[in-house]
Amino acid sequence: MQQTLTPARVMRALAPLVWIGPAVVLIGVVVVWPVVVMIQSSFLRISRFGVVQGANGVDNYTKLFAEPDFDGIMVRSLLWVVAVVTITVVLSLGLAQLFNQRFPGRRLARWALIAPWAASVLMTAIIFKWMLDPEVGLINMILREIGVLDALGGADADPLGNAATAMPWLVFVAVFVSLPFTTYALLAGLSAIPPDVYEAARIDGASKPRIYWSITLPLLRPALIVAALINVMNVFNSFPIIWAMTHGQPGYSTATSTIFMYILKGSDIGESAAMSVVNFGMVIVLTVIFLRVTKWRTEVR
Amino acid sequence: MNKRLAGAVTLGLTAALVMTACGSETPAGESTAEGGRVTLKLVAADYGDGPTAENSGEKFWKGVVDEFQAANPGIKIEYQVINWNDIDKQVATMVQNGQVPDILQTGDYSGFVKDGLLYKSEEVLSSTTASDMLEKFAEFGKVDGVGYGIPFVSSARALFYNKDLFDKAGVAEPPKTWDELKAAAGKLKAAGVSQPFGLPLGNEEAQAESFLWFMGNGGGYKDASGNWAIDSPANVETFTYLKGLVSAGLTTPNPGTKNRKDVWADFAAGKVGMVNGGPMSIPIFEKGGLSNFGVAPIPGKAGPLETTLGVEDWIMAFNKNGHKEEIKKFFDFFYGGTAAQKISDTYKLLPVTKSGIEKLGSDEKLKPFLDALPNATFYPFQDPKWSEVNTQIKQTIGGAVDGDPKEILGAIQKVATSD
Repeated sequence: MQQTLTPARVMRALAPLVWIGPAVVLIGVVVVWPVVVMIQSSFLRISRFGVVQGANGVDNYTKLFAEPDFDGIMVRSLLWVVAVVTITVVLSLGLAQLFNQRFPGRRLARWALIAPWAASVLMTAIIFKWMLDPEVGLINMILREIGVLDALGGADADPLGNAATAMPWLVFVAVFVSLPFTTYALLAGLSAIPPDVYEAARIDGASKPRIYWSITLPLLRPALIVAALINVMNVFNSFPIIWAMTHGQPGYSTATSTIFMYILKGSDIGESAAMSVVNFGMVIVLTVIFLRVTKWRTEVR
Repeated sequence: MNKRLAGAVTLGLTAALVMTACGSETPAGESTAEGGRVTLKLVAADYGDGPTAENSGEKFWKGVVDEFQAANPGIKIEYQVINWNDIDKQVATMVQNGQVPDILQTGDYSGFVKDGLLYKSEEVLSSTTASDMLEKFAEFGKVDGVGYGIPFVSSARALFYNKDLFDKAGVAEPPKTWDELKAAAGKLKAAGVSQPFGLPLGNEEAQAESFLWFMGNGGGYKDASGNWAIDSPANVETFTYLKGLVSAGLTTPNPGTKNRKDVWADFAAGKVGMVNGGPMSIPIFEKGGLSNFGVAPIPGKAGPLETTLGVEDWIMAFNKNGHKEEIKKFFDFFYGGTAAQKISDTYKLLPVTKSGIEKLGSDEKLKPFLDALPNATFYPFQDPKWSEVNTQIKQTIGGAVDGDPKEILGAIQKVATSD
């Protein structure tokens, strides 16, 4: 068959462009363009009032890296991602398994699991902040009732006032809001595993843990990787939970890089842009490392 | 054929999408004259309790704008009210994108002056309005002797104390010195008050609370000759005293994470013995159900403060779009009419004009604050470094009641003196 360059052929070759065109334009305008502006801004000197005062070379970056709190914030951001994602995935594996069983009221239970997802993250975070209020917080009042707390209003009743006790609560809330999505992604993965594979395993006399380890987990891997990866990016960029509950305080001791970037915006927009660029780079690096480690391309054997 | 038609339609849609995207990039702040009508864009901070509240800034400005437009049919005003937490960042974005408003009302003006973005006050104020401004306030609106910031409202601070809790604890009088304060707080604590002294050093307004304490020891952000002195021995001593109060459990727990709004709410709920507040906190306390409170001068190390923190907010006019005459008309209307008075009534903020202060002279509750105004001390907001220092204070100064005061204050001093 000879290929001739007729107008009809050209049109056909270009046809896909028409279909993906709007998406490409949209991505260009709302994703690529802001990234370009962000990188540009990080090399500009911009006053706190928004006046661009010219080029600033790499000074914004030098200033950022010299911030006394910078190292602690970056380490904390990494720990935050690892802790939240690990706990979320492990709990979700169990929950997905549970919701994949048949039991009375399963439909209701599945609906209930959506609740934290349906509520706005900011609202959830504010509600937890209120429940932990030293004077009138519900959680503190319950702790007082059961005798764990001596009195309301003091430092003991103020877990969010201290980094050592605030971080576990922040992680808890982050896990709480991440569970529904992760569980549903894994649940979808579970129901896609054909039942005859299990039947074959049972006939071969495999034990339950063995079946889970050798059949369920490998077949679940694509869903698991996608769920974990989306969580890594979401949690790394997570802003509302920490902002609503602690503002990164006391000092910067509960701030992650995203929170730090926002605080910097109040004093030095250029430095804040530099922090955004570093943040952006971190997400890409984390994603690449994650994909390497999980060998996402390799087929299940 | 059908496919091609669909393709053409999609292309058309795409093009339309791109065009609208470009179309919406016309600066919203750029005023356009439609049929001889000039549009002024006004951006203002919200002094109320949010967009849905009875006292929201939206409602206040709608009232002002409606009345002004009825009297001046040739001028249309588009107003946008932004809450205090976001207004600085949003205005910075507007400036960066070249979409400046014509009139801006917020807490700071000095940063716009250097780049020549503002009209001088004399260009947009009629002589009647200008001469009604209190000189002291107008003075703070000047950079190198030229006025740019126009005083909008002011406020002063004093000590509020809960009379019922004082009676219960057997404290006869509000404290005048730091020693008396500590003794009174100890008695309140013994009487079961969980927060004897409300100490908000969280990011909302740590710069105000710290300043009030610095003043009590003859300190401040700057020394007498105008150099930054945040880690001066007097200031370190102040925070060492506060640290003692905190570790004895006589204050709000973990002050570095607590905001003024929450501590005031706790005071209104009767959980706090004493707290620094202003006239604007009176409606908050009363709404919370507390009416039996007293107002006293803020205690200092050796005696009550002779000065207090004065807060002054600003309104300013940007020169980018022209419209000098229309802005002047609006300012005359605002200060000459009932609008300025309405702010004081709604939000218990203090006026900045001589006529306004005269009108309020008879208000018993506002009297202590009006009396304090002439002697008030202000933030060093004429210093271009102030905004950066301010951000650092808000985030970190609370740590000085926890860790080493000298170290924490020293870190802030370093930000102030770096170039």
